[in-house]
Amino acid sequence: MSVMTIYHLVAIFLLCMGIFGIAYRRTLVGIVLGIELILNGAGLSIMASAQLTPAPNELGQVGALLVMGIAAAEATLLLAILLVVSRRFKNVEAGKLITMRG
Amino acid sequence: MENLEYERLAWAVLFGHIAIIVVGGFMTVLSQSLGRALVGLIMTLFGVAGLFFLMAAPFIALMQILIYVGAVSVLIFFAIMLTNAWPGGDESGKSPGRKYIYAGLAGLVPAVMLATAVIRTAPPSFLVPEETEISVLGRFFLEDFILPFELISLLLTISMAGAVILAFEMRRKK
Repeated sequence: MSVMTIYHLVAIFLLCMGIFGIAYRRTLVGIVLGIELILNGAGLSIMASAQLTPAPNELGQVGALLVMGIAAAEATLLLAILLVVSRRFKNVEAGKLITMRG
Repeated sequence: MENLEYERLAWAVLFGHIAIIVVGGFMTVLSQSLGRALVGLIMTLFGVAGLFFLMAAPFIALMQILIYVGAVSVLIFFAIMLTNAWPGGDESGKSPGRKYIYAGLAGLVPAVMLATAVIRTAPPSFLVPEETEISVLGRFFLEDFILPFELISLLLTISMAGAVILAFEMRRKK
């Protein structure tokens, strides 16, 4: 097993934990935490693939930075959506939000 | 002789950070209170930043600490605070026992598939990565990757504007 495989296994662990969190958590905030875990694992995997193989290093670092930027944008939007949902429905439990209105 | 010691140190650092990540990951998804889950997430983020340092990419590691730990976790903290998810903990009630199993399956099945694929097809890799200069990285951003670079700034602007509009829309209706 090479070093890169260890990094990739860590990234896969983060993916596993993220999916588990998304499926298991009941509040929307818990689901957001799971999504952050998955995005972080993606960045780690991209980084390891570029740094530890003959592929150009800059490519992986730029990829990881782009993933971080997307995560920041996503977190902002999710905060706004959570605010609106909690004001309208008075709670943020995923199982209780069964009404859809325009 | 000295090299061997350095290598041993590097392995220790690697597995130490992996331990931090694993503990943080379990804390993130399993802890009852969302505040503790957020602490677990921050722990994981620091662990991943340490792995970036170990991969000879200090700039990205610092960006990880700055963006994730500094910005994203503060945003999530505000989300926990503003949605009143904290007191008593919406996660604290008992959830049906089957949910554990289904959620575990949903996470484990793709993980096992990907892990077997990675272990089988991984190409040989370096033990010691090279460090990239920040100036090279900046030139790469502004020459080869100019379009994604501009697009990400556009995406950030749009998402900030969208967040502000979403939050103000509700207030006007009241």
